Amino acid sequence: MLNSSIVKGQAMSSVIGESSILAPTGTDRKRGITSDLLLTALIDAFSILIVFLLLSFSSTGDLLSLSKDTELPSAAGEDLERHPVVKFESGKYFIENKEVTTNDLVQALLDLRKSHQEMRAGEEFPGILTVQADRRVKFEQLSAIVQASAQAGFGDIKFAVLMK
Amino acid sequence: MAKGKKKGLDFTIELIPVISLMSVCICFLLLTAVWIRIGSVNVKQAVGGQAASETQKKPTVWVALDGKGSASFEVRDSRVPARLQRLKVQGVDGKPDLEKIKTLIGDLRTAEPALITALIQPDGQAVYEHIIDVMDSFKKNGVIDLGVTPL
Repeated sequence: MLNSSIVKGQAMSSVIGESSILAPTGTDRKRGITSDLLLTALIDAFSILIVFLLLSFSSTGDLLSLSKDTELPSAAGEDLERHPVVKFESGKYFIENKEVTTNDLVQALLDLRKSHQEMRAGEEFPGILTVQADRRVKFEQLSAIVQASAQAGFGDIKFAVLMK
Repeated sequence: MAKGKKKGLDFTIELIPVISLMSVCICFLLLTAVWIRIGSVNVKQAVGGQAASETQKKPTVWVALDGKGSASFEVRDSRVPARLQRLKVQGVDGKPDLEKIKTLIGDLRTAEPALITALIQPDGQAVYEHIIDVMDSFKKNGVIDLGVTPL
């Protein structure tokens, strides 16, 4: 049936049909098992891949480290910049990946502020903090961060989200 | 004078180095690619400053959010109609009814275009994701100055 159909003619004349060892020629002639590599198609695919990866390339890298249990909430937020990170994870508070207790939050943030001002004397203190927490967390656990940041002079809080 | 032989204009490109270079480039980009795009929702907190009586009052909407997703809206220092001053949007399946909230914010903005400040008052049981969803609804409707009050 294939021999009489128009499909056969198309299959025989196609590039794949000619280069593939699986081409349904129906003859007994032995064909080599080597096939031509289509370099043009390969270079095209590589070029498209490179363009796509270059467009999604970020020179800043990962600003936050997310554990596998942490799922950020999603929102149409703004781009994230590098600021001190306060994290609530597995029932514990972390400031710049250093564990702190609830009672020490204010003091740790004050220390952070002090060290920033010492390192960049003369510069105005930006008072920006990034808060990272799982989307299912209750506010009673985040309230301590909000309160401590206000007490330590961090007036701007950036809640880390997945961009919609 | 020596007469040089004419050279052909055709030249060949060595494909193997090109492919090698592309492969290295792809490997580097794949390793350094950031697949998850993380952003932020910005919130401003009151830190000291002037006494409340000295500051100029501007229209503000206060939103009390509970653990069941219900949101109670109260507009202060504004001339919005009385029917819009105090409203409650019930939660659906434990989540805030974002469609209704968006409609309500749109109505408030139409009645009071100067309304750009919102203060969220979540209770202890309010879920972080729901707070962010409500904030996102405000931001999308032009209410850009957001604040969260601690417990």
